[in-house]
Amino acid sequence: MLAYLQNIAVLFCINAMLALTLNFIMGYAGIFSLAHAIFFGVGAYATAYIAMYFTDSLLICMSASILISALLSMALALPALRVRGEYFVAASLGLQVIGVTIFSEWKSVTGGLGGMIGIPRPKLFGYVFNDDGMFLLLAFVMLLIVIGIIALLVRGSFGRSLMAIRDSESAAQSYGKHVNAVKTISVAVSAGLAGVAGSLYAFYISFINVESFMLETSILLMAMVIIGGTGTLFGPVVGAALLMSLPAALTYLPFLPPSELGTIQQIIYGLAMVLLMMFRPGGLVGGRSREKSA
Amino acid sequence: MLFVQLLANGLQTGALYALIAAGFSLIFGMTRIFHAAHGATFTIAGFIFYELFAILHWALPIAAIASAAAAGLFGVLLDRFVYAIIQRHEGSFFTVFVASFGAAIVVQNLISIFFGKGMVTVTTPLSKSIEVMPSLFIAPISGIIILCAIVAFLILQWLLTRTNLGIALRALGENPNLIEVYGLTPRRLSQYVFLIGSILVVPAAILTSATSGLNPSMGNHVMLISIAATIVGGVGSLRGAAVAGMLLGLAENLCLAVIDPQWSEAVTFVILFLFILFRPGGVYGRAIVS
Repeated sequence: MLAYLQNIAVLFCINAMLALTLNFIMGYAGIFSLAHAIFFGVGAYATAYIAMYFTDSLLICMSASILISALLSMALALPALRVRGEYFVAASLGLQVIGVTIFSEWKSVTGGLGGMIGIPRPKLFGYVFNDDGMFLLLAFVMLLIVIGIIALLVRGSFGRSLMAIRDSESAAQSYGKHVNAVKTISVAVSAGLAGVAGSLYAFYISFINVESFMLETSILLMAMVIIGGTGTLFGPVVGAALLMSLPAALTYLPFLPPSELGTIQQIIYGLAMVLLMMFRPGGLVGGRSREKSA
Repeated sequence: MLFVQLLANGLQTGALYALIAAGFSLIFGMTRIFHAAHGATFTIAGFIFYELFAILHWALPIAAIASAAAAGLFGVLLDRFVYAIIQRHEGSFFTVFVASFGAAIVVQNLISIFFGKGMVTVTTPLSKSIEVMPSLFIAPISGIIILCAIVAFLILQWLLTRTNLGIALRALGENPNLIEVYGLTPRRLSQYVFLIGSILVVPAAILTSATSGLNPSMGNHVMLISIAATIVGGVGSLRGAAVAGMLLGLAENLCLAVIDPQWSEAVTFVILFLFILFRPGGVYGRAIVS
């Protein structure tokens, strides 16, 4: 039982990090990306590749994941600078599909559809995180660091520039904000921190394949952000906790056939998305007044 | 000969994509609703047709009409009871998009409860390939698909340019505030758009059930193709959607001459991505700057 709870807690930390970083661009910068799972995946594959072929040092693997994710996020920043709204959503959808194809077909690096098996646990200052309890501690500390970085950025002048750009790009520009630079940096930060989540995920599960980084994951992350509340600091964490506890809670309902659990869970979160958008578009944490910015 | 074979396959895929994209393009162009559940309409139409025609052995026209009715009903109900409510408090496009996506997820999973997650196919002799020329295989159904696409676009063109309803719908796409001055209600017109747009996807759904088969999760792919074709073609331009659907279908098949088949889907989205970067207005659209 303890192991089961530990497992859920680690996955919660990883998903909360992803939801937080997605909310950073979605809620604060108004960049509605449906390709977040790709940067999660890039982080995971980068760590897996380095840990399996070079070194299992946590610092090296994680920094590489952050760097590569942040670099590749320029592919997302490019359309974000040129188009808005529906066009950007379409561009990010395109990026998501292209990314999945690369993950599943670039066999020499990603292992193709079979994925990568046997990723070692990370080593930090000579200590190997073989114990799941210690790994949970690591994941939790990383989650706190991510929350800290995002809180700092959002509360500071950078966050105010971001929100100004979200609400009116031309107004922000006329006040001398470097719109393009701010947008690019925010996308890079978001993708880089998503890379941290990917890195932890690869170390923890020790097996990755493309299944974890598909459009469904991006949508699940988006649902976490929206159900929790876009543009709020702790909304995404609440959303991640809710959506992660849903499958666990469903297993306790005796009248549901076990084979349909996944399907029923999907129906519930689909319905939740529809109903929330209709009656509470600001999410559970956000107030009703935020609906225009959602 | 390989090239001609790929060209023939490309024409078939392209016509199908054009048919799929027409409904989405109409809805998006006229109402500005990012109707992600368009793929769900497609799956509903396809599976209802499969159930009535292949399982219950109803006559083809009746099964087709029933499936069109189901698709139209789904579109209209979604517009009436979900989108209208969201738009009442001025929800942004993303709010509508998320709700639409949620609805698509619900439909996909409901269908997989009733029909299972596997592939279902309607078997017909028409989908069997015939060797027309040495090493050139074409199924009669390709011809039917291209014919269907041409007929559907002609009807739509007539509807939009020659009837009062069509003219009102185009006015809705141009300026929803102005048409209220002329005594038309945008909400009622939006219902018609959803009815027509949803029914437009039915021929594609029926034809797909006979060619490549249906599965509950194919709605996502249909949605992606519709979005890609609509944007590449230029938002609000039906001619653009048709041309872009054809272009994407041809590109997806012709690229097989040089690359492995598993990359062909990515080609579509690379084209979409390039268009958004360099010509976001699409083939026929007006230039759009941010």
